[in-house]
Amino acid sequence: MTFRRFLIKRIVIAFLLTLVSVSIIFVTLRALPGTPFSSLVASGGLSGEQVAELEAQYGLNEPIYVQYVKYIQSLLTLNFGYSIAESRPVSAIIYPRLLNTLVLLVPALITTAIVSSIAGLYAGWNRGSAFEQGSIVVTTFFRSTPVFVTGIFLLVIFAYQLGIFPAFGMRSPLDNPQGAIETYFAVDFAKHYFLPFVATVLYYSGDFLLLARNSVIERKGSAFLTLHRAKGLTEREQLARAGRNSMLPLVTYFALRMGMLFQGVITLEVVFAWPGIGRTLVQAINQQDYPTVQAAVFIMALAVIVMNLLADVMYAKIDPTVEEGDL
Amino acid sequence: MSLLEVEDLKITYSTSEVDVHAVNGVSFEIDDGSNYGLVGESGCGKSTVAHSVLGLLDDNGNVEAGSIKFDGRELLDCSEQEWQEIRWEEIAYIPQSAMDSLDPVMSVGAQIRQAMHKHRDVTKAEANERVEEVFDIVGLDPSRTEEYPHQFSGGMRQRVTIAMALVLDPDLIIADEPTTGLDVIVQDKIVHKLLEIQEEIDSSMLLITHDMGVIAETCDDVSVLYGGKVMEQGSTDDVLKNPTNPYTMGLKNSFPDIEEFDSQAVSIPGSLPDLTREPTSCVFSNRCPFATEECEREHPALREVENQQSACYHVDRVEELREEAVDPETWGLDPVDQGGREAGDVILETEGLTKWFEQGQSIVDQLMGREKDYVKAVNGVDLTVRENEIVGVAGESGCGKSTLGEVIAALQTHTDGEIRFRGTPVEELLSGDSKEFRSKVQFIFQDPFDSLNPRQKVRAAVSEPLKIQGVEGDEITERVRQTLADVGLSPVDKYIDSFPHQLSGGERQRVAIARALVLDPELLICDEPASMLDVSLKASILNILREMATERDMGIVYISHDLASLSQITDRLAVMYLGQVIEVGKTREIVTGPRHPYTASLLAASPNVDPAVDRTRVLLPGEPPNPVNLPEGCNFAPRCPKATEECRESEPERAAWVDEGHEAACYFPVDDVQAELLDRYEGATDAAGTTGEELPQEQGSSAP
Repeated sequence: MTFRRFLIKRIVIAFLLTLVSVSIIFVTLRALPGTPFSSLVASGGLSGEQVAELEAQYGLNEPIYVQYVKYIQSLLTLNFGYSIAESRPVSAIIYPRLLNTLVLLVPALITTAIVSSIAGLYAGWNRGSAFEQGSIVVTTFFRSTPVFVTGIFLLVIFAYQLGIFPAFGMRSPLDNPQGAIETYFAVDFAKHYFLPFVATVLYYSGDFLLLARNSVIERKGSAFLTLHRAKGLTEREQLARAGRNSMLPLVTYFALRMGMLFQGVITLEVVFAWPGIGRTLVQAINQQDYPTVQAAVFIMALAVIVMNLLADVMYAKIDPTVEEGDL
Repeated sequence: MSLLEVEDLKITYSTSEVDVHAVNGVSFEIDDGSNYGLVGESGCGKSTVAHSVLGLLDDNGNVEAGSIKFDGRELLDCSEQEWQEIRWEEIAYIPQSAMDSLDPVMSVGAQIRQAMHKHRDVTKAEANERVEEVFDIVGLDPSRTEEYPHQFSGGMRQRVTIAMALVLDPDLIIADEPTTGLDVIVQDKIVHKLLEIQEEIDSSMLLITHDMGVIAETCDDVSVLYGGKVMEQGSTDDVLKNPTNPYTMGLKNSFPDIEEFDSQAVSIPGSLPDLTREPTSCVFSNRCPFATEECEREHPALREVENQQSACYHVDRVEELREEAVDPETWGLDPVDQGGREAGDVILETEGLTKWFEQGQSIVDQLMGREKDYVKAVNGVDLTVRENEIVGVAGESGCGKSTLGEVIAALQTHTDGEIRFRGTPVEELLSGDSKEFRSKVQFIFQDPFDSLNPRQKVRAAVSEPLKIQGVEGDEITERVRQTLADVGLSPVDKYIDSFPHQLSGGERQRVAIARALVLDPELLICDEPASMLDVSLKASILNILREMATERDMGIVYISHDLASLSQITDRLAVMYLGQVIEVGKTREIVTGPRHPYTASLLAASPNVDPAVDRTRVLLPGEPPNPVNLPEGCNFAPRCPKATEECRESEPERAAWVDEGHEAACYFPVDDVQAELLDRYEGATDAAGTTGEELPQEQGSSAP
């Protein structure tokens, strides 16, 4: 199978998966008891007629299949509609929050993927060394501690005791930056950024370290490494070959994690009061704000699917044997 | 001065509990341009010696004493950096398992270039040119250098590693079991290539193998290793022809000639010596039938006997020992009444049996309704097995012989055709309560290390089938003990409560056999039951099977690629090629007078243990075609020197040639193997150079 055919096939599958996932979101939300306005009725703020009028305004009185078709149509044009709870375009709510999340998590994930993978390769190569054992204990500790606990400890030590870093938010309350550059490339932002960044890096480091270590251990002692050694390759060159052969699980895991980043890490956002997508989603679900929830979940599902696709493509590029087998 | 001088080398491996003394004082010398063989069974230290010459010992391996001098330079004093310069530049290495010794994510050309760039200052273009050159030398298509290892078959990968070893014109090539795991025809071609190349570039070779046949055909001098000691040393002709050491004699017994029918296989009883401490007696004394008190004192030094050296106290009685060593009774084996087995009623009969494996298909192809591709693993096989008969199924890897075994044992469903057990179709037997059928047909798997549950004691493993069949508790114990004793695991009490990991490979396979026999099956299917075992143990497994067949009136299907053991044990033989039986008949008739060109090639390719015999190599061109797209006509036609238009157009019936139960699927059966096949193969390779390799080659990289 040629690479192009492989790619087309994967994209078609990804598209179908997306369709399935948005349909599930649609059905699930409609299956929840109540409507966005039921709380208003309960509190006596609105009469039955007013609610019916509002529902008509949002198209909620139409038959469910019509709503579904309209929903799919809008999604295909990336039109997410208006938020019921906040009365402004959903995109205006979601995009900035999503950006905040990604600005925090993507660099953190990339950093930890590179640093802990290399550390893992090294640890696996020097099996039984103090470095290997120490690194496993440390990273497993941070992996198994909930991220908000690590976050709280970081806050207690660096923000409240030492007072080096600010305790919450993305910027000082008094700052009022305009535009992305001013927002994200400021000393004040960097100070707020540091603690949640560290917490994330520590949280993810264990996975990459253990994966890299285990796959190097698996490769170590394999016949092809012996042959590389017999050819006169230095220790470092041999490790590089072992690392190259250990890429597959790392790339898969990285892509999956990357896809999941779009969901944000709610506990982290809460502890550091970071205005990210995770908190927005929880809020929207509580308010039964259909359009916002649908849009947010759609983006999350899409991200996972796209990243999976990317992982498959990278697979085919990294491992010459993959293209042959049908995926 | 010799090229390589190894002197009194001692190597231990440290484990968490004890030190294992793997090599206990080995000395030998390799001259310029000569081939040196190290032969011995697994655990004799031969690979350890080879690795130490390249400084490739594992981290826990320590050279305790001795010296390794290469070109007068002491290698053991080298720093890691000096080692890196010597490796490949001076001493190259051909690894044991070509299947996984190439880096899977690097093109083969790049792997070879890497070795060049490491040692020479060459441009990429120069390196490329050289890679193509060595590809050409080993008979690979030079345009395939940028392909990845998985695109080559096992034999071709071994050629890649040989090409890699040649690339820098090293003075010494260490070949560690270069042909183990390859099919006999491929092995023959590889050995031929190695010798041819060596003659050309005039390097020395250190060949490590357990196969005396390969040694006999390639090496000038040889050392026989056992328990980390040299047992016998000398020129190959002398050592193999007139062994002077009891161990060499025993090892030679384990390599019977193909044409030795019905001779009882002679094994060496017992197991390897305990190497956790330095040997205090002759390392072979616990298994040696000639051992005396003298042998317990210490390991004998090498002494001159005839034209070679032997580490034995009884060198003065060589003639006598040699005579006695060929007698099975010397090795504590009861002579078994050979031959005279009368085959009884038909137990199993297959008719047009096929097993096709569906190949994955893309969605588009499915929607378009295109026909699916099938791997035709078994393609129309008729086979009959009678009571008290051992039927051999021979063939190279990927020919479908294992699948055939699993299908007739109903471990896999079949696609088409019929299997009748005692006249009843298998479907019928399986449709209701399949217990009865299952108890009558038993299977022994290839790998005794995998086929036993590591958490089950021997007692549990052997009694499990009885429990499934609902046998009572007391009877179970009795039958388990009886069967264990029958397969030679005695005293039973010593084994019955052991876990598999406490047993040796040979003992485990006996447990597996006991587990199969405990139900008193009528049909036993053995899939390469001895191929994972050491040569000296192989014979004992064969003997047990033979005995059982005679005693219990069983029918046995013995699947193997090893023609020597097949000819020793089987009554009838079916030779498979690409899912079809191409020749069938009495074993003796097939071995002495093969009719199908493929059978004849297969038989002619087995290496001969006698170094004096000058055998023409079987240079069968190409590789078996892809079992998905089989050629029109006879499957063997593309490689057959006798093929005509007729062969390429229509497929010969199995009984195209018949002579009293000896059938061959060939229009032009062979009469004179030498003139009709071997000479022509040689002619074809000389004339066509590498073109033979351009035949379909996917096959082999994915052999089941």
